[in-house]
Amino acid sequence: MNAAEWIRLIIGCLFILTGMVIFFTELFGVFHFKYVLNRMHAAAMGDTLGISACLLGLMIFSGLNFTTLKMFLIIVFLWFASPVSSHVLSRLEAATNDNLSAHCELYEDVEVLERELATTVENGNTEEKEESV
Amino acid sequence: MKESIYHPLFILLLIVLSFMLLVCLIRAVKGPRVADRLMAVNMMGTMVMVMISVLALLLREGYLVDICLIYAMISFLSVVVISKVYIGIYEEQHHSQEHTEGGNADERG
Repeated sequence: MNAAEWIRLIIGCLFILTGMVIFFTELFGVFHFKYVLNRMHAAAMGDTLGISACLLGLMIFSGLNFTTLKMFLIIVFLWFASPVSSHVLSRLEAATNDNLSAHCELYEDVEVLERELATTVENGNTEEKEESV
Repeated sequence: MKESIYHPLFILLLIVLSFMLLVCLIRAVKGPRVADRLMAVNMMGTMVMVMISVLALLLREGYLVDICLIYAMISFLSVVVISKVYIGIYEEQHHSQEHTEGGNADERG
Protein backbone atom coordinates (compact mmCIF):
# COMPACT_ATOMS: atom_id res chain seq x y z
CA MET A 1 0.00 0.00 0.00
CA ASN A 2 1.62 3.24 -1.10
CA ALA A 3 1.34 6.73 0.33
CA ALA A 4 -1.44 7.90 -2.01
CA GLU A 5 -3.78 5.11 -0.89
CA TRP A 6 -3.08 5.87 2.76
CA ILE A 7 -3.93 9.54 2.19
CA ARG A 8 -7.14 8.50 0.39
CA LEU A 9 -8.08 6.23 3.30
CA ILE A 10 -7.48 8.94 5.89
CA ILE A 11 -9.40 11.65 4.01
CA GLY A 12 -12.31 9.28 3.38
CA CYS A 13 -12.38 8.27 7.04
CA LEU A 14 -12.42 11.95 8.06
CA PHE A 15 -15.43 12.63 5.81
CA ILE A 16 -17.30 9.58 7.13
CA LEU A 17 -16.50 10.55 10.72
CA THR A 18 -17.91 14.03 10.04
CA GLY A 19 -21.07 12.44 8.66
CA MET A 20 -21.44 10.23 11.73
CA VAL A 21 -20.97 13.22 14.07
CA ILE A 22 -23.67 15.09 12.16
CA PHE A 23 -26.02 12.10 12.42
CA PHE A 24 -25.41 11.97 16.18
CA THR A 25 -26.15 15.69 16.45
CA GLU A 26 -29.34 15.12 14.50
CA LEU A 27 -30.47 12.36 16.86
CA PHE A 28 -29.58 14.44 19.91
CA GLY A 29 -31.56 17.39 18.57
CA VAL A 30 -34.56 15.22 17.73
CA PHE A 31 -34.71 13.94 21.32
CA HIS A 32 -33.80 17.27 22.90
CA PHE A 33 -36.40 19.60 21.43
CA LYS A 34 -39.98 19.55 22.65
CA TYR A 35 -42.06 20.26 19.57
CA VAL A 36 -42.23 18.96 16.01
CA LEU A 37 -41.45 22.26 14.31
CA ASN A 38 -38.28 22.53 16.40
CA ARG A 39 -37.32 18.91 15.86
CA MET A 40 -37.71 19.30 12.13
CA HIS A 41 -34.86 21.80 12.14
CA ALA A 42 -32.49 19.19 13.56
CA ALA A 43 -33.83 16.42 11.35
CA ALA A 44 -33.40 18.32 8.10
CA MET A 45 -29.69 18.79 8.81
CA GLY A 46 -28.89 15.08 8.54
CA ASP A 47 -30.88 14.75 5.32
CA THR A 48 -28.56 17.08 3.44
CA LEU A 49 -25.29 17.63 5.28
CA GLY A 50 -24.96 14.25 7.01
CA ILE A 51 -25.59 12.11 3.97
CA SER A 52 -23.44 14.43 1.83
CA ALA A 53 -20.45 13.97 4.13
CA CYS A 54 -20.93 10.18 4.36
CA LEU A 55 -21.33 9.75 0.61
CA LEU A 56 -18.35 12.03 -0.10
CA GLY A 57 -16.22 9.74 2.05
CA LEU A 58 -17.54 6.67 0.22
CA MET A 59 -16.92 8.40 -3.13
CA ILE A 60 -13.30 8.95 -2.17
CA PHE A 61 -13.02 5.25 -1.25
CA SER A 62 -14.56 4.04 -4.50
CA GLY A 63 -12.42 6.13 -6.85
CA LEU A 64 -13.37 7.41 -10.29
CA ASN A 65 -16.14 5.24 -11.76
CA PHE A 66 -19.87 5.18 -12.35
CA THR A 67 -20.61 4.33 -8.71
CA THR A 68 -19.15 7.70 -7.72
CA LEU A 69 -21.34 9.47 -10.26
CA LYS A 70 -24.47 7.75 -8.95
CA MET A 71 -23.60 8.69 -5.36
CA PHE A 72 -23.19 12.30 -6.49
CA LEU A 73 -26.64 12.07 -8.11
CA ILE A 74 -28.09 10.90 -4.76
CA ILE A 75 -26.59 13.93 -3.00
CA VAL A 76 -27.96 16.34 -5.63
CA PHE A 77 -31.39 14.73 -5.48
CA LEU A 78 -31.52 15.01 -1.68
CA TRP A 79 -30.52 18.68 -1.82
CA PHE A 80 -33.72 19.30 -3.78
CA ALA A 81 -35.98 16.78 -2.03
CA SER A 82 -35.20 17.44 1.62
CA PRO A 83 -36.39 21.09 1.81
CA VAL A 84 -39.58 20.18 -0.05
CA SER A 85 -40.40 17.31 2.30
CA SER A 86 -39.64 19.48 5.35
CA HIS A 87 -41.98 22.16 3.98
CA VAL A 88 -44.75 19.63 3.36
CA LEU A 89 -44.32 18.18 6.86
CA SER A 90 -44.54 21.61 8.50
CA ARG A 91 -47.66 22.37 6.45
CA LEU A 92 -49.14 19.10 7.71
CA GLU A 93 -48.38 20.13 11.28
CA ALA A 94 -49.78 23.66 10.83
CA ALA A 95 -52.94 22.38 9.13
CA THR A 96 -53.80 19.62 11.60
CA ASN A 97 -52.85 21.21 14.92
CA ASP A 98 -55.79 23.08 16.45
CA ASN A 99 -53.65 24.28 19.36
CA LEU A 100 -50.77 25.71 17.35
CA SER A 101 -50.73 29.07 19.16
CA ALA A 102 -49.64 27.29 22.37
CA HIS A 103 -46.31 26.44 20.72
CA CYS A 104 -45.50 29.40 18.53
CA GLU A 105 -46.51 33.00 17.88
CA LEU A 106 -49.29 33.30 15.32
CA TYR A 107 -50.38 36.32 13.28
CA GLU A 108 -53.90 36.24 11.89
CA ASP A 109 -53.12 38.85 9.26
CA VAL A 110 -49.93 39.18 7.26
CA GLU A 111 -50.19 42.99 7.35
CA VAL A 112 -49.94 42.99 11.16
CA LEU A 113 -46.73 40.99 10.99
CA GLU A 114 -45.31 43.27 8.28
CA ARG A 115 -46.15 46.40 10.29
CA GLU A 116 -44.55 44.95 13.40
CA LEU A 117 -41.43 43.94 11.50
CA ALA A 118 -41.21 47.40 9.92
CA THR A 119 -41.40 49.09 13.31
CA THR A 120 -38.70 46.84 14.74
CA VAL A 121 -36.48 47.51 11.74
CA GLU A 122 -36.97 51.27 12.12
CA ASN A 123 -36.20 51.07 15.82
CA GLY A 124 -33.09 49.03 15.07
CA ASN A 125 -31.96 51.56 12.48
CA THR A 126 -32.44 54.52 14.82
CA GLU A 127 -30.58 52.72 17.59
CA GLU A 128 -27.71 51.96 15.26
CA LYS A 129 -27.60 55.60 14.17
CA GLU A 130 -27.55 56.75 17.74
CA GLU A 131 -24.76 54.36 18.52
CA SER A 132 -22.80 55.46 15.48
CA VAL A 133 -23.26 59.13 16.40
CA MET B 1 -4.09 -6.25 1.53
CA LYS B 2 -6.49 -3.50 0.61
CA GLU B 3 -9.64 -5.38 1.66
CA SER B 4 -8.17 -6.20 5.03
CA ILE B 5 -8.28 -2.50 5.94
CA TYR B 6 -11.59 -1.54 4.34
CA HIS B 7 -13.61 -4.58 5.42
CA PRO B 8 -13.66 -4.05 9.23
CA LEU B 9 -14.15 -0.31 8.68
CA PHE B 10 -17.32 -0.91 6.67
CA ILE B 11 -18.59 -3.49 9.19
CA LEU B 12 -18.07 -0.99 12.04
CA LEU B 13 -19.86 1.72 10.05
CA LEU B 14 -22.82 -0.61 9.45
CA ILE B 15 -23.05 -1.46 13.17
CA VAL B 16 -23.02 2.22 14.20
CA LEU B 17 -25.63 3.07 11.56
CA SER B 18 -27.92 0.27 12.67
CA PHE B 19 -27.80 1.52 16.28
CA MET B 20 -28.76 5.00 15.11
CA LEU B 21 -31.57 3.43 13.08
CA LEU B 22 -32.91 1.84 16.27
CA VAL B 23 -32.87 5.24 18.02
CA CYS B 24 -34.82 6.70 15.08
CA LEU B 25 -37.35 3.88 15.47
CA ILE B 26 -37.80 4.82 19.14
CA ARG B 27 -38.59 8.38 18.02
CA ALA B 28 -41.10 7.05 15.49
CA VAL B 29 -42.85 4.98 18.18
CA LYS B 30 -42.78 7.72 20.83
CA GLY B 31 -43.68 10.67 18.59
CA PRO B 32 -46.85 12.27 19.94
CA ARG B 33 -47.94 13.69 16.59
CA VAL B 34 -48.17 12.36 13.06
CA ALA B 35 -45.54 14.80 11.81
CA ASP B 36 -43.10 13.38 14.39
CA ARG B 37 -43.52 9.88 13.03
CA LEU B 38 -43.20 10.96 9.41
CA MET B 39 -40.06 12.92 10.25
CA ALA B 40 -38.55 9.88 11.97
CA VAL B 41 -39.35 7.72 8.94
CA ASN B 42 -37.62 10.31 6.76
CA MET B 43 -34.51 10.16 8.97
CA MET B 44 -34.53 6.37 8.86
CA GLY B 45 -34.67 6.56 5.07
CA THR B 46 -31.58 8.75 5.04
CA MET B 47 -29.63 6.32 7.22
CA VAL B 48 -30.75 3.33 5.16
CA MET B 49 -29.45 5.13 2.07
CA VAL B 50 -25.99 5.42 3.65
CA MET B 51 -26.15 1.73 4.63
CA ILE B 52 -27.01 0.66 1.08
CA SER B 53 -24.10 2.71 -0.29
CA VAL B 54 -21.71 1.13 2.22
CA LEU B 55 -22.98 -2.32 1.22
CA ALA B 56 -22.41 -1.49 -2.45
CA LEU B 57 -18.74 -0.84 -1.73
CA LEU B 58 -18.46 -3.77 0.70
CA LEU B 59 -19.90 -6.35 -1.69
CA ARG B 60 -18.35 -4.66 -4.79
CA GLU B 61 -21.75 -4.52 -6.50
CA GLY B 62 -22.20 -1.18 -8.24
CA TYR B 63 -25.87 -1.67 -9.03
CA LEU B 64 -26.78 -1.38 -5.33
CA VAL B 65 -26.25 2.38 -5.68
CA ASP B 66 -29.05 2.44 -8.28
CA ILE B 67 -31.32 0.88 -5.68
CA CYS B 68 -30.21 3.60 -3.27
CA LEU B 69 -31.19 6.32 -5.75
CA ILE B 70 -34.62 4.75 -6.28
CA TYR B 71 -34.99 4.41 -2.51
CA ALA B 72 -34.36 8.15 -2.12
CA MET B 73 -37.05 8.97 -4.68
CA ILE B 74 -39.62 6.62 -3.15
CA SER B 75 -38.92 7.87 0.38
CA PHE B 76 -39.43 11.49 -0.74
CA LEU B 77 -42.61 10.54 -2.59
CA SER B 78 -44.01 8.65 0.39
CA VAL B 79 -43.51 11.60 2.74
CA VAL B 80 -45.21 14.02 0.34
CA VAL B 81 -48.11 11.69 -0.47
CA ILE B 82 -48.80 10.66 3.14
CA SER B 83 -48.76 14.32 4.28
CA LYS B 84 -51.18 15.37 1.55
CA VAL B 85 -53.50 12.41 2.22
CA TYR B 86 -53.48 13.09 5.96
CA ILE B 87 -54.29 16.79 5.47
CA GLY B 88 -57.20 15.80 3.21
CA ILE B 89 -58.55 13.23 5.70
CA TYR B 90 -58.24 15.71 8.59
CA GLU B 91 -60.14 18.44 6.77
CA GLU B 92 -62.82 15.97 5.66
CA GLN B 93 -63.34 14.80 9.25
CA HIS B 94 -63.45 18.40 10.44
CA HIS B 95 -66.17 19.32 7.94
CA SER B 96 -68.19 16.16 8.65
CA GLN B 97 -67.96 16.86 12.41
CA GLU B 98 -69.31 20.37 11.89
CA HIS B 99 -72.18 18.97 9.83
CA THR B 100 -72.99 16.24 12.35
CA GLU B 101 -72.84 18.73 15.22
CA GLY B 102 -75.43 20.88 13.45
CA GLY B 103 -77.55 17.82 12.73
CA ASN B 104 -77.32 16.58 16.32
CA ALA B 105 -78.39 19.94 17.65
CA ASP B 106 -81.54 19.68 15.53
CA GLU B 107 -82.16 16.13 16.73
CA ARG B 108 -81.66 17.10 20.37
CA GLY B 109 -83.98 20.07 20.03
